[in-house]
Amino acid sequence: MTYTRREILQTLRMTELEHFDIRTVTMGINLLDCGHDDPSEAGRRIHAKLTRLAADLPRTVTEVADDLGIRVANRRIAISPVALVHTRPEPESYVSIAKEIDRAASEMGFDFVGGYSALVQAGFTDADRALIASMPEALSTTSRLCSSVNAGSSRNGLNMDAVRLVAAMLKETAYRTRDRGSIGCAKFVVFANAVEDNPFMAGAFHGTALPEVVIHVGVSGPGVVCQAIRRAGPCDLRELESVIKQTAFKITRVGELIGRIVAERLGLPFGIVDLSLAPTPELGDSVGEVLEAMGLERTGACGTTAALALLTDAMKKGGAMATSAVGGLSGAFIPVSEDAAMIAAAREGALTLEKMEAMTAVCSVGLDMVAVPGDTPEDVLAGFIADELAIGVINHKTTAVRVIPAHGKGVGDSVSFGGLLGEAPIMDIRTLSCSGFVRRGGQIPAPITSLRN
Amino acid sequence: MDRQSLAVAVAQILVRHLPQSADEETVAAVVADLVAHIESRSAAPESDDRRLVVVTVMGKNHSGIVHAFSEVLAENAVDIVDINQTLVHGNFAMMMIVDLTGARCDVQGLKAALKKRGEEVGVQVYCQYEDIMRAVNRI
Repeated sequence: MTYTRREILQTLRMTELEHFDIRTVTMGINLLDCGHDDPSEAGRRIHAKLTRLAADLPRTVTEVADDLGIRVANRRIAISPVALVHTRPEPESYVSIAKEIDRAASEMGFDFVGGYSALVQAGFTDADRALIASMPEALSTTSRLCSSVNAGSSRNGLNMDAVRLVAAMLKETAYRTRDRGSIGCAKFVVFANAVEDNPFMAGAFHGTALPEVVIHVGVSGPGVVCQAIRRAGPCDLRELESVIKQTAFKITRVGELIGRIVAERLGLPFGIVDLSLAPTPELGDSVGEVLEAMGLERTGACGTTAALALLTDAMKKGGAMATSAVGGLSGAFIPVSEDAAMIAAAREGALTLEKMEAMTAVCSVGLDMVAVPGDTPEDVLAGFIADELAIGVINHKTTAVRVIPAHGKGVGDSVSFGGLLGEAPIMDIRTLSCSGFVRRGGQIPAPITSLRN
Repeated sequence: MDRQSLAVAVAQILVRHLPQSADEETVAAVVADLVAHIESRSAAPESDDRRLVVVTVMGKNHSGIVHAFSEVLAENAVDIVDINQTLVHGNFAMMMIVDLTGARCDVQGLKAALKKRGEEVGVQVYCQYEDIMRAVNRI
């Protein structure tokens, strides 16, 4: 037999029993040719281009997934940062474009389109300011649009004016979507070192150096990793790393296979595989559970950062062996609301925001899908975001914050978004003032490590 | 070693391990079978044009399972390239690699027909392109 019985049965167990799925196939689309002075014309061009290029994606992905016997959870679109699409630089212009994008997504059956974004790590253009000002309305009047701001980078330092604008914007968005758990904020992420080929929401956008259209894949697989760790039993850490690496190899191979076939069938270039372990709120599909399978009583216990460091590094090593097209964020995601074990740990108080901040120094992203009290002062939010982004700027890695200051809620409450966005217990945040620092405004200069030439 | 002598060697090994009922006539038949098998395999196109699909059948063991599925494959002119069956913890498990080149159905059609038969016979059927096995199990 070409394959041993063991190989076939193991593969089947992975695909059928262990929640293995490909998290997303994301089509990146350049929209920089859709600009027009008149925002309604720009919106019309964007709608037409999205519809022309992306309409076949959902069907093709479903066909490929069925042929291979693999579930693909999401089909998504990443577009050029909308602040770069030329139009009249006024907030209303961008709101009308946002609605066109949302309409196109809804007509084609996409749940999210990412790229309502501005890259302001070294300062604002007029368009950037208008786009950020439009976000509360855009995020509260659309349902499928995802938005981001890149406020810092290891080359440029940290734009604290942008951080403050984002904090104010989040408060307003939370208020405008207060009847839905402040869900507007769940569709927005602020970055340091944002990557241009990230296939995952809410931070996906189509970078300016990418091809016209491209297919990216984001893998998933915490369930598969968790089961492999459990089967390995009480082995030592070197052995544990080996088990994770081998599993990451398999997961990544499947991701690349799906991406290549989808790209081939659509006649498009294949971009990258993002190796990130991405959880869902479903039981058995949790990164927190993986950490607990490694031997922690609860996520947030002492040892959590070390375990996460081992996990993330092993995922990268195994994944890098499996594909030559690694990209995106590639690490492990630790969103609170989208991960059953993280939700439980946060609810019990085992997982605090400070511990999460430490964890983000060794995983791929950051303080993701954390809910804080609705009355958290704007400056505190700005300081909270600045802390996280500073970790990224100094350490040459991507960090991000997706925080929901849930309007009208306090510690002990929770907000439920349903679906993949899950449910977030409101976590305690230090409200000691940092106004004297954040209100100084301006730019935290680029770190000395930016001088590498 | 040519094919014939390879087959003889294989058959001799078989005889050594088979029950004593295996006589020379049986050995000759085994050799003929092996030669035909090896020749048909080497004649088969090994290119990537073949559409290989892995079919796995699992469920409670009872008589007629192999027959039920090979019938569906024959009806659709699907060629069985490789087949293997075993019992896993008392349950029946059959793995087949089949070739859809020249078949009267595509993989979705085959999957639907096999699943339907699986329901009739009371077993689970999984049907995946072979690419997935190669991707996951081969460097």
